[in-house]
Amino acid sequence: MSDITRRKFLELSVKLAALMGLGTSAIPQIAEALGRLSAGAAPVLWLQGQSCSGCSVSLLNSEEPGPAQILTGYISLLFHSTLSASTGDVSMKVINRSIDEGGYLLVVEGSIPAGMPEACIVGKEHLTKQVLRASRNAKAVIAIGTCASFGGIPAAENNPTGAVGLPDFLKSNGVSTPVITLPGCPAHPDWLVGTLVHVLKFGIPSLDDKGRPKMFFSRLIHDQCPRFADYERENFAGTFSDEGCLFNLGCLGPVTHADCTLRHWNSGTNCCINAGAPCIGCASENFAARASFPFYRKGEQNKGKER
Amino acid sequence: MSRTVTIDPITRIEGHLAIRIKIDSSRVVKAFSSGEMFRGFEVILKGRDPMDAQQITQRICGVCPVSHGTASILAQDAAYGATPPKNGRLIRNLILGANYIQSHILHFYHLAALDFVDITAITKYKGRDPVLRDLKKWVKGQISSNVIYPAAPFLPRYSGKYIQNTGLNILAIKHYLDALDMRTLAHKAGAVFGGKLPHAATLVPGGVTEKVTAVKIAAYASMISKLQTFIDKSYLTDVGEVAAAFPEYFRIGKGCGNFLAYGVFPESANNSEKLLPSGVVVGGRLRSFDAARITEDVRYSFYSSSSGLHPVQGQTVPAPHKNGAYSWLKAPRYNGTVVEVGPLARIMVAYLKGENRAVKKLVNGLLAKLGRKPKDLLSVLGRHAARAIECKVVADRCAEWVEQLVPGEPTFQDFTIPKTGRGVGLTEAPRGALGHWLEIDDHKIKRYQCVVPTTWNCSPRDDNGNPGAVEQALARTPIANSKNPIEATRVVRSFDPCIACAVH
Repeated sequence: MSDITRRKFLELSVKLAALMGLGTSAIPQIAEALGRLSAGAAPVLWLQGQSCSGCSVSLLNSEEPGPAQILTGYISLLFHSTLSASTGDVSMKVINRSIDEGGYLLVVEGSIPAGMPEACIVGKEHLTKQVLRASRNAKAVIAIGTCASFGGIPAAENNPTGAVGLPDFLKSNGVSTPVITLPGCPAHPDWLVGTLVHVLKFGIPSLDDKGRPKMFFSRLIHDQCPRFADYERENFAGTFSDEGCLFNLGCLGPVTHADCTLRHWNSGTNCCINAGAPCIGCASENFAARASFPFYRKGEQNKGKER
Repeated sequence: MSRTVTIDPITRIEGHLAIRIKIDSSRVVKAFSSGEMFRGFEVILKGRDPMDAQQITQRICGVCPVSHGTASILAQDAAYGATPPKNGRLIRNLILGANYIQSHILHFYHLAALDFVDITAITKYKGRDPVLRDLKKWVKGQISSNVIYPAAPFLPRYSGKYIQNTGLNILAIKHYLDALDMRTLAHKAGAVFGGKLPHAATLVPGGVTEKVTAVKIAAYASMISKLQTFIDKSYLTDVGEVAAAFPEYFRIGKGCGNFLAYGVFPESANNSEKLLPSGVVVGGRLRSFDAARITEDVRYSFYSSSSGLHPVQGQTVPAPHKNGAYSWLKAPRYNGTVVEVGPLARIMVAYLKGENRAVKKLVNGLLAKLGRKPKDLLSVLGRHAARAIECKVVADRCAEWVEQLVPGEPTFQDFTIPKTGRGVGLTEAPRGALGHWLEIDDHKIKRYQCVVPTTWNCSPRDDNGNPGAVEQALARTPIANSKNPIEATRVVRSFDPCIACAVH
């Protein structure tokens, strides 16, 4: 490893320690984890089910480390449909041989069409079958995003494909590989990078009963809300772009576990509530689940007042 | 001797696409495009609160969520009679513009370029750039290691003709890395007013929830200025270099030659003027666009619903075992005709209309520089060139729009959701013309239909057996080696397909 790379790793380690809430004592260990990763110790296979690729795009938004650093210094990305140079038969050879060799971390993006296997096909194979093959031979599985974690929008009420999240799918098919869920629509890049490092150096991080790393998902958005003082003073926004707590507009911060309001999105640029937008609970296991539970209470407020 | 080759999966696009080509005498004679992933957004939206639509439809696509959010709030603006204040309209344009820039840069450098650029050239690098030296060290280390796929995900790949010039390859690799930072920066600019990206939070009927402050104006302006420099100095130049190295791709991938644009980036409160105008080009002649002429056929699609419906009556009833069907995409047609949508369609319409002087000047300048005629734009390289030109036009205009924002002025106008109503949201995603059709009954969504850019471009055959735009563009493509049909993937990728969008 060149000096420049080592120095960069240490700088990144400080940032990673901060984002994982580990404190500075863990820095040398994380640096060592990154060093081991750069030796090609962390093969990652990435499969997409019923996904929008939003979690992949979100990962590209990681700045420290950036995507090039992640690919060359952190993981060995065997296959990723959006990034791989390979295509067609060449891709299927890579996927199949990787699965045969085993020992990789599997990342799954998107839900699984358990009730309609024809609704997702990769290389002439139903994804339902492919993801089971890949999960059985993986060291651990990371379900990235709300779709892979809990089913998300494709699994919402009235959905036609019988979509489910990966943990439920693996459980019902008797696969016992450990699964970490990183919900969020999309998932925050820090949540994936931090989890990858933790898995490689310290093993599976402490998870809650839904498989989420506690270091990112232990607290409610509401408890960390920049508008919490408005809530305490009962200063509520009446409509969009008003000042005040967004609860009456439908904010789901009080029931959603994630750290968006502290971490912020796009490298600290902004977050939904700061931008006047109620939390829609995109990291929740109940995200979009019921047709009768709207994201906004605007319609409710307006009923009877319409023209 | 003819043979059939299936390329499945087509990578470096969004989503799940398979292309089947029949090759005769080293040329494609027939092509079939199959979208292979279905979620049922239009079914899921039924019975929900209409305002759910802008959030749910953004999740159709993580590459162009802002376009779906925009189509949805335009449809809702129409249904509710809401008109965003000037700040609100400008901010919508700024978020959408930032995502255009992100998407176009991502497409050229990270999705398409690896079909032209030889990544292995980095092993011959002799310069002093620390980033490139580290990359060279990594690739060499990988190749000499015992990992099963060294330098993944950049290898393995199809064998074929890549750029030969080492210096040019290395410059392109450097720009691939720069472009990673640039598309991230574009998303940051979008998040200044969008709350977050992908899946912006602030888009609502009547405007946006975010406010204008001097700090936000300065932040966005600063980011867009850096992006303008990259587009001018790297993106436009690199497209020219690829064109110079692969001139034959001005003749490959011509396609149907018909174009459709709904227009995008409103410049006035009533949406009558747009930065990139609407129009239809059939047989080289520009006509005005009429939304009533859109229909969707499903004879070869996995749906049992009626064929040939206008989206106002549109239905989505999945039938995964349907006989004769080969795609989850429907087959949209304009006046019964196959049309291409996307940056090339928008630039063609704007060029022929002649009102946008920047478009005219940039197109003429690029054609002169490359020694080409306007008809050469109907090609693989024409699509890349149009995308780069559009990226510049949008970025330059974003830099002007942000200076028109006024702190303290409203960004949102209140509205009430009616008990019944209808609305259409017509806009353009980076990949082409996008429409959402909304019908409300008893305060709930009764019908929601999306006709999406890649549905137009990658559609299967229609009820009359006419192949879709990409299927037509593949015809006559020369294939040197049927085991490595890289030429076909260059044609497909020039359309920047998004299958999550196309099927939804």
